[in-house]
Amino acid sequence: MSSEIPRPESTTAPSAEGSRNERESGREFTRPGPVFRPDVDIVENPEEVIVLADLPGVSADRLRVNLEEGVLSIDGEQARESGPPGTPVYAEYRSGAFHRRFALSERIDGSRIQATLRDGVLELRLPKAERHRSRRIEVHG
Amino acid sequence: MAWLELPSSPFGRGAQGSWDAFERLRREVDDLFSRVAPRGAWSGSGVHPPVNLYDTAEGLVLTAELPGMKLEDLELSVEGQRLTLGGERRIEYPESERTSFHRRERRPGRFRRTIDLPKEVDAEKVRAGYRDGVLRVLLPRAASQASRRIEVSAG
Repeated sequence: MSSEIPRPESTTAPSAEGSRNERESGREFTRPGPVFRPDVDIVENPEEVIVLADLPGVSADRLRVNLEEGVLSIDGEQARESGPPGTPVYAEYRSGAFHRRFALSERIDGSRIQATLRDGVLELRLPKAERHRSRRIEVHG
Repeated sequence: MAWLELPSSPFGRGAQGSWDAFERLRREVDDLFSRVAPRGAWSGSGVHPPVNLYDTAEGLVLTAELPGMKLEDLELSVEGQRLTLGGERRIEYPESERTSFHRRERRPGRFRRTIDLPKEVDAEKVRAGYRDGVLRVLLPRAASQASRRIEVSAG
């Protein structure tokens, strides 16, 4: 089972540094830079698992979410426009990429996954496959 | 439901094996994760949006990472050479009778930051935009600060 949000191919050729980064991490990156672990909330209810991830500076075309063999991966790249527009005076954060992976023990209905990216927050709704939903078991006395 | 965080390198399907394997993998994950940094400014207690400030030919540019903000909850003001950025980050979760959290890292709360600007800016001409969770404030330099070409005459 594999579900992916399509992402347009980057038109920028990877630099030499980018290629090295790619080899090291085993993922595709179109530019060198630090990789950050985004803050996430994971909420579960009987019907679905909801993942909320803070991805500031990431637009939908630079975000890739993949669910394959029970592994959910989130990869996002911050926009180049958020790069230095001038000489840094204060620098409290660096721009780069976000990456995080989770293994799901629950079976997810891949055909009904919903992903929304709004104001730098990804909301993923992962509906549980029908037979894995928790059921209330009646106990008869 | 068990949630296991995986490192960058791919693992086989053993991730759902016995508890021992789970623990071993978790330790491995922790080690490997030292290479993937958490987004520091948000991971302490409370909300502390990280800002960058740049000096440009036109003035100053301030950027701040503020994912998931509503614009009405954001306050921005410039007075003299002091910029104040404040607001409240609200996090809403889907309502459900039986909801459990597996991770809760995103922080809600109020914040207020004051940043001293290294040069005078024209407060009347400050513009701000918010896109993909990043605030960008353009602070044109004050007219008196704009560079003037000074003619040097011979003699």
